Amino acid sequence: MALHHSTRGRLGLAATALGVSTLLLAGCAGGTGNTDNTDATGESIIVGTTDKVTTLDPAGSYDNGSLAVQTQVFPYLVNTNYNDTEVVPDLAESAEFTAPNEYTVTLPAGLKWSNGHDLTSSDVKFSFDRNIAIADPNGASSLLYNLDSVEAPDDTTVVFHLKTDNDQVFPFILTSFPGAIVDEEVFSADAVTPDQDIVDGDAFGGPYKITSWDFNKSVEFTPNENYKGLLDAPVNSGVILSYFAESSNLKLAVQQGDVDVAYRSLSATDVEDLSGNDAVKVVDGPGGEIRYIVFNFNTQPYGATTADADAAKALAVRQAVADLVDREAISDQVYKGTYTPLYSYVPEGFSGAIDALKGLYGDGDGGPDAEKAKATLEAAGVTTPVELSLQYSPDHYGPSSGDEYALVKDQLEKDGLFTVNLQSTEWVQYSKDRTADVYPAYQLGWFPDYSDADNYLTPFFLKDNFLGNHYDNSEVNDLILEQAVEPDADARKADIEKIQELVAADLSTVPLLQGAQVAVTGADVSGVILDASFKLRFAPITK
Amino acid sequence: MTTDVADPPAALEAPRKRGGGGTLGRYILIRFLLIFPTVFILVTLVFFLIRMTGDPITAALGGRLPTDQLAERIHEAGYDRNIFIQYFEYLGQIFTFNFGTTITDKQPVVQVLASYGLATFELVLYSLVVAFIVGIPLGMVAAALRDRWPDAVLRISAILFYATPVFFSGLVAKLVFSVWLGWLPVSGRAGVRTEIALGRDGGTGIYLIDAIASGNPAYVWDVVSHAILPALTLGLLTAGIFLRLVRTNVIGTYNMPYIDAARSRGVRESRLVRTHAYKPALIPIITVIGLQIALMLGGAVLTETTFEWKGLGFQLAAYLSARDFVAVQGIVAMIAIIVAVTNFIVDIIAAFIDPRVRY
Repeated sequence: MALHHSTRGRLGLAATALGVSTLLLAGCAGGTGNTDNTDATGESIIVGTTDKVTTLDPAGSYDNGSLAVQTQVFPYLVNTNYNDTEVVPDLAESAEFTAPNEYTVTLPAGLKWSNGHDLTSSDVKFSFDRNIAIADPNGASSLLYNLDSVEAPDDTTVVFHLKTDNDQVFPFILTSFPGAIVDEEVFSADAVTPDQDIVDGDAFGGPYKITSWDFNKSVEFTPNENYKGLLDAPVNSGVILSYFAESSNLKLAVQQGDVDVAYRSLSATDVEDLSGNDAVKVVDGPGGEIRYIVFNFNTQPYGATTADADAAKALAVRQAVADLVDREAISDQVYKGTYTPLYSYVPEGFSGAIDALKGLYGDGDGGPDAEKAKATLEAAGVTTPVELSLQYSPDHYGPSSGDEYALVKDQLEKDGLFTVNLQSTEWVQYSKDRTADVYPAYQLGWFPDYSDADNYLTPFFLKDNFLGNHYDNSEVNDLILEQAVEPDADARKADIEKIQELVAADLSTVPLLQGAQVAVTGADVSGVILDASFKLRFAPITK
Repeated sequence: MTTDVADPPAALEAPRKRGGGGTLGRYILIRFLLIFPTVFILVTLVFFLIRMTGDPITAALGGRLPTDQLAERIHEAGYDRNIFIQYFEYLGQIFTFNFGTTITDKQPVVQVLASYGLATFELVLYSLVVAFIVGIPLGMVAAALRDRWPDAVLRISAILFYATPVFFSGLVAKLVFSVWLGWLPVSGRAGVRTEIALGRDGGTGIYLIDAIASGNPAYVWDVVSHAILPALTLGLLTAGIFLRLVRTNVIGTYNMPYIDAARSRGVRESRLVRTHAYKPALIPIITVIGLQIALMLGGAVLTETTFEWKGLGFQLAAYLSARDFVAVQGIVAMIAIIVAVTNFIVDIIAAFIDPRVRY
């Protein structure tokens, strides 16, 4: 060993080296606070979100993140006002059925895009034609299923020719994904237009225009002086939308004042934690998002393709599940009230929503009732405990799904009526398996495409529905088709209520929860409106 | 005798020179050619593996569309075609440097690589700086104070540095310095207003350079303060390795006969350590850097996700989740190229410095 242990030189050198390291690190870490308050763009509002944009072009997207941006910068012919569900003219001067299969929209004269181009009926026709022509796999052109053609007889008139008469859903679709109008001088007629081309072309007609676009990092919105529509002009000088990957980081950002509004999606525990913080406010509103259990009518216990197939017993099993689930407990224990119990198929807040399951199952007041479940199973001759395979996705409906379904399993097994085999599968495989009759019962959720009760019925309970669970009730099928073309509002509402009652008796699905919309804002922020449009509109936000 | 040693026969020396130069050239050529199979194998593996896990259409719309509509969209996108046809098409694109456009958000992959790659480059650079300024001096300190308590503390620290998962150390650092103490920002590369201001001015995409160029000290501090925790988290991982490596090499070098010879000639101990022991001991660090770059890029995925540092790793995680074949292939290919080229360069430098490497 030749290394000497104690010389002044070596110790001095060691101390110097250590000191340099420490100083360099201290130099790096010195100072306090951050400079997020550095104000380079005036008193704009900063909104934080975890929703991502797919593409700015409305023809290439079918997701909340893209819609959240599009709704600020593109004009829509019709829309819903704040805190209202009625569809009224937005960009349009008037919009109405002028014949059973003709929906005519009149635009005011002299409309302009933010770049100064004329905004005419030709742009409207172009917008719908291109959406259908492009039919992008990630787009929402499928929502225009009933649109036959669009006509623009003059600069201010647009006539939509529909395939079926009296389509009551069509005006609602115009408020949603494919309803955005785009500038024909900037957008491509046959391909999704790149985001930067749209920004560079200043092709905006909504309350805001985009003045800075850093894809899924930040977007700067500045009020569009040429906007003439339903909503009042923005009361703020602009909005910056900042993107986060983790909701925990978004929570910390709003807590520390780095963002003024955190909207979609904070976790239930984050919201609960923030609700006790004086530096922030929690704002909520009706939510269109629902969570439910789907039964596969072929493979569920006693299902049509099982060895002991028996429709009555299968129904009894579904009814017993509906009797046993305690939605209130799931809402309180797992979601801390950010999801509320759902007792029907059309969630609260929509015209026609009723609590169809509340009186039929459980204790008749929303709570569980094991005795009733037991009696139902016994009456049908079902041997207990019933073995039920239940699937959920751990990565698609938020991190609380595991807790939610562990609690459902516990509720079903508590009184010995069920033995639940609970399993989880990664989302992409899950999506394939669920429609391939692999899962007898499974978790699913839904966020509406447009703000109408139809969007909670047609996709789910027609014979060929997206669930693919082999549910088929001709009366329900006919009523769904009927309500969609019923021009009388009261008669349509009655149809919607009847459909819910019928499906509640069949239990194609067991609704569990309805998600509330939740935003967390700084204490000095006001004007955040979360209504049944399910869109956070930036124009009224101020601080 | 003396004459013989000082002046070797020309006939003996000339072939050695030719042989040495030829060996280095051959070594460089082989190392260069190895880049291609490395990248090819990795790209091929990624191509097949990611397709085994599903497709982007199902990932995005699996919970909204009926099976037939989903299948129709998958067919239109061409994801149901023979996988080998898709593979050879992809290889054709790679050979023409056409990385394509991402499926989920329609961004040119080259643009994604440029935009997010610079962010990752910046993070890896900061981390290397941390690794050097922490690992090398502390390694020297540990060697100088071998087997005394500071050495023990530093060795334990080194183990902790490289044994702690970066996502864990990142979360702890965030909790302490951002949440509890409030000294540093929680996440991001800069405050959103700074980002927009720097973006508006154009610039390089490397925020520190852009902030300095803006002449606004607030922007510079904003960028630096956002970089501290991610750089420390990722940098300390490598610093731990450097620390132990330097310590071991310095001790090893200190035991060499030429050090004893120098000491016997009366060279002072401090000079002995500084000029005779430390410098040769640092040479292996160069070789290790090549490997560390690969480790850092792997660590960057977790560090970037923890700190919302919007770099290639951050985007790779997002694209993987969305099953965006094109984006994942592009990013992995780029990372493979960076690692392979870095290792190539490091090998060449090492071969120049230490002739033993090339034999």
